[in-house]
Amino acid sequence: MGSIIAFHSYKGGTGKTLLSVNLASTYARKGRNICLFDLDFRAPSLHAAFKAEGNGYWLNDYLNGTCDIKKVLVELNTFHTGSGRLFVGLANPATEAIREMSAKDRKWEMRALGRLLSLKTALFNDMHLDHIIFDTSPGLQYSSINAIVSADMAIVVSSLDASDIKGTQRMTRELYDLFEKKTGIILNKIPAGHLATPDKKEKLLKELKAIHNLPIIDVIPCFCKVLEAGGTYIFAVERPEHPFTAILNEVATTIEEGRAYIEAGFQYVCDIQGAQLFKKRK
Amino acid sequence: MTTFRGSQKNATQILERIREGLDRLNEKMDVVIEIQRHGQRDNESIPDVLDVMTLLSLPDHLRKTAVTLCKLNQATADEVAGQTKRARAVESGYLNQLVLMGYVKKERRGRKAYFFVEKEE
Repeated sequence: MGSIIAFHSYKGGTGKTLLSVNLASTYARKGRNICLFDLDFRAPSLHAAFKAEGNGYWLNDYLNGTCDIKKVLVELNTFHTGSGRLFVGLANPATEAIREMSAKDRKWEMRALGRLLSLKTALFNDMHLDHIIFDTSPGLQYSSINAIVSADMAIVVSSLDASDIKGTQRMTRELYDLFEKKTGIILNKIPAGHLATPDKKEKLLKELKAIHNLPIIDVIPCFCKVLEAGGTYIFAVERPEHPFTAILNEVATTIEEGRAYIEAGFQYVCDIQGAQLFKKRK
Repeated sequence: MTTFRGSQKNATQILERIREGLDRLNEKMDVVIEIQRHGQRDNESIPDVLDVMTLLSLPDHLRKTAVTLCKLNQATADEVAGQTKRARAVESGYLNQLVLMGYVKKERRGRKAYFFVEKEE
């Protein structure tokens, strides 16, 4: 069975959506079957990222229990996907829908958790998916915690902002660890000066590993071209030669390798000279 | 020889019934202990919704059981134990604690006790 990967962050604007959209496309271009869900109901963005029209059904409807999940999924054309298949589950961007989702009570959130948990059986068995990717809302909100609990793996996207680092540390202790979630960090939008030489990069990684005590999946510099694109196109699809796309290919491979180790009964211990060390779980 | 085998089979069945009886007794004792422990608490103030915020507030051992039950939707203590890799009797105790706290419901069907967060419509 495939895995559910949740992209999460403490603060907004760290690049969760950019990374989840581009990673989903990267996987699809590698021949994987992917489903990407927009679980940020307060600021839906996947419809804009893929310029995809809703098909009349939204993830909101699925979580409300008014339709089957398969009715929600929109399959993207092969331009985005290459040899794999890429489905998206869109959140309703209408103001009324956002307002409605913000006013849900605890009982509704409990049912929403149940519905997210049942996605795994509903989708992996029938649709031969390799991965489901959740693009979540930042911080400790119901929708993002529901997503983390339902996922097999959490990828935290963090910047070098001091409050982001502190918040990520707290979330590791008070969220990911409590739910025994496999977690990795992607450091995004890192100023070029920090990565100017291999020594500087090594020093930065050493400091951040000591702070977070989690595997660092990759470090992504702040690329002007990516910012210039402004989410108007899928960068990894249209700029395959760019270093950002090369890094996403690395990220895709690292996630699958890490998962293979964990499935084989190993757990991450630490990094030694750039190599991740795993030990056999008891 | 045949008589010996027959009586051995009977003895196994009786032992199995005794084990099941003891399991049920154990579950009931867990409930009694929990009722005594929580006797002083004001039940009105206990939230009965097993959402993620409740899950976060639970002690680690109960959280694991509760998350597993959420994943399984409804399950016996044996099925939960199969997922958590803890003993059935331990899970039975934890599930009964969650029942007492008002987060989980319990229904007996024949000899088996099923636990669930919310019944499927």
